[in-house]
Amino acid sequence: MKKVFWVVIALFCFSTFFIIFPLSSAARPIKVGIIDCYSGPATTFTYDVRDAFKMAVDEVNAKGGVLGRKLEFTTRDTKFKVDLGISVAKELIMRQNVDILMGTISSSVALALSEIVKREKTPFFCTFSKSAKITGEKGHRYVFGITENTSMIGKAAAVGLAKKPYVKYWIAGDDYEYGHALADGVWGNLRKKRADVKMVGQSWWKVGEPELTPYLTAILSAKPDAVIFATGGASMVNIMKVAKATGFAKKIPMFVHTATELSTLMPLGQQAPEGVLGTSNYHFYFPKTPENNKFVKVFKKTYGRYPKVGALYGYITAQFIIKGFKKAGKLDTEMFIDAIEGMKVGSPVGEIQLRACDHQAVLPMFLGKTERSSEYPFFIATDITTIPGPDVMPTCDEIKKARGK
Amino acid sequence: MDIGQVFTFSALGSQFLVGLSRSMILFIVCSGMSFVLGVLRVPNVAHGSLYMIGAFSAFSIASLFGGSPTGFWLALIFAPLVVAFVSLIVERALFCHLYEREHLMLLLFTFALMLILGDLVKLTWGSEYKSIVAPPFLRGSITIFDSPFPRYNLFLLIIGPLVAIGLWIFTNKTKIGKISRAAAVDREMVGAVGINVSWVFAAAFVIGCYLAGLGGALVAPTVSITLGMDHTIIIEAFLIVTIGGLGNMWGALVGSLIFGLTHAFGVLFWPQFAIVFPYIAVTIILIWKPTGMLKSVW
Repeated sequence: MKKVFWVVIALFCFSTFFIIFPLSSAARPIKVGIIDCYSGPATTFTYDVRDAFKMAVDEVNAKGGVLGRKLEFTTRDTKFKVDLGISVAKELIMRQNVDILMGTISSSVALALSEIVKREKTPFFCTFSKSAKITGEKGHRYVFGITENTSMIGKAAAVGLAKKPYVKYWIAGDDYEYGHALADGVWGNLRKKRADVKMVGQSWWKVGEPELTPYLTAILSAKPDAVIFATGGASMVNIMKVAKATGFAKKIPMFVHTATELSTLMPLGQQAPEGVLGTSNYHFYFPKTPENNKFVKVFKKTYGRYPKVGALYGYITAQFIIKGFKKAGKLDTEMFIDAIEGMKVGSPVGEIQLRACDHQAVLPMFLGKTERSSEYPFFIATDITTIPGPDVMPTCDEIKKARGK
Repeated sequence: MDIGQVFTFSALGSQFLVGLSRSMILFIVCSGMSFVLGVLRVPNVAHGSLYMIGAFSAFSIASLFGGSPTGFWLALIFAPLVVAFVSLIVERALFCHLYEREHLMLLLFTFALMLILGDLVKLTWGSEYKSIVAPPFLRGSITIFDSPFPRYNLFLLIIGPLVAIGLWIFTNKTKIGKISRAAAVDREMVGAVGINVSWVFAAAFVIGCYLAGLGGALVAPTVSITLGMDHTIIIEAFLIVTIGGLGNMWGALVGSLIFGLTHAFGVLFWPQFAIVFPYIAVTIILIWKPTGMLKSVW
């Protein structure tokens, strides 16, 4: 009798569990896990990605959420380490049951995560890693590139540099994958456009090298026509500072991928070098469209600072997630992926499409040169040429070939 | 690049000066680390973090005065004092209780301190890159050996020897300096003659950290002030202190010169692999003289 009693109790609890569970799952939020580096010099970029994402999330939740559910996110710090990135990705997928993963600024972490999400079938939006391999040769169904990559930067830079009369180039930069990939991207594409250009030398320094003066004075001795700097992180600002201190920018034309970006120019204040050629994905002051102005206004009001390029990436990622689930109509991964392939979303820089063949967002690039501003306490980009996204993308055939199909 | 261009007198001369000015910063930072290593017998892993706090404090002080020249000089005076104060608090509140413990505990403590200070800097100053500028007369460059040489680097070439002379006077002519040297050699004896060894350690620690802060404040106008500055300097500091001779401040000078000059010349001769040169020099020195160039204090 006692045994039967306990069996009945167990069955009762079991069935109530099944009654309660569906009720709670109706309110289950859509979970996004942001894996990024929040330590060291990369933090200035990654905070913008997270903050703009949060801005978009708060906006959509205030309007009732997505498919009647709240959109939630949580962040994890990888400290720029691949092993930490892998372990937090596993934790987020298996214990937190995230629906989407996004991040990171480290290409090596991004490539490692790409392998994991392929197995786990969780969509991963790459928000800041610039390796062309992510949506190129190592791309697959579950990985999406929101940021521009080194081959796109290279093509855009080549468009600008090909028009200049420079023939003898010196290439210098941070001695890691990003630096070399950036240099290869720019140089490879420049050579395609101008067969006459020559590389007269290269210098590579350790990532974040504080003392760049000996490198610049050595380059000055070699007297090239122009220099291409492939810098990342803290070196972006260091190279501009040393170029100003040695008067290098006045003597030899410089191209630096991020020379015109706010992250580089804001810390320099009025002490930036003038006339440095640079490319960037985002300027908060250009183009002065209603979407951009509104974005900047809300961001500045919420966070007390101007949005930098990371904010654009965070915001676009949010738009794809929101619009994708709305179009899919269900919290289903495969339907979500089918929905966002080829989808267009609005953004501060215009309509952005997620290309179906490689899952890469087609972003425009802005080529400009640094100049003093009368409006702001820092330099801005002027003579801005907008290079439309489609012009800088590799063709779908090139991607197919790279992936070995 | 042509060999002919590399071996011109002007190229060699300007690289020499640039390397020398870098050595001055390294010397100031490493002399502090050497001093602490000599007296306390523990390599302070958090030395880089204090250097970073020196740079950030210089930024804050300079910003208070709107980036004016007064702000810069005040930053140079007060930022190292801020770092010294922080180190005094850490030493008296936490560090000194570990002196009786096993030696490894002190090392682990400095490691933990490095991590904590790194995050405290992030919480206090945020993650944005910061920058300060030198006063107008120290900006721009002068032409030496047909090459531009930043005026600020010239300033460093003057400050470096001044700090060295100051340190020499301190360790040889002042009472506390002589006691610190004695404590480095034989701490039991110093205690036996009635001197409070604990306070000697505190003084040595604070002075070493003051030098780290001074290095950070001096380097601030030339680099972007970011999180992660601590990690880049600490490895170089460790190597320099080791090749110079453990605890020997003049060894720190020798080590810094070797490091800075091999780097500068390496950039000229083989710019693609320039970062390797100082480490090759370190390897050769350690094979030739495993205890360092100059006599170690212990």
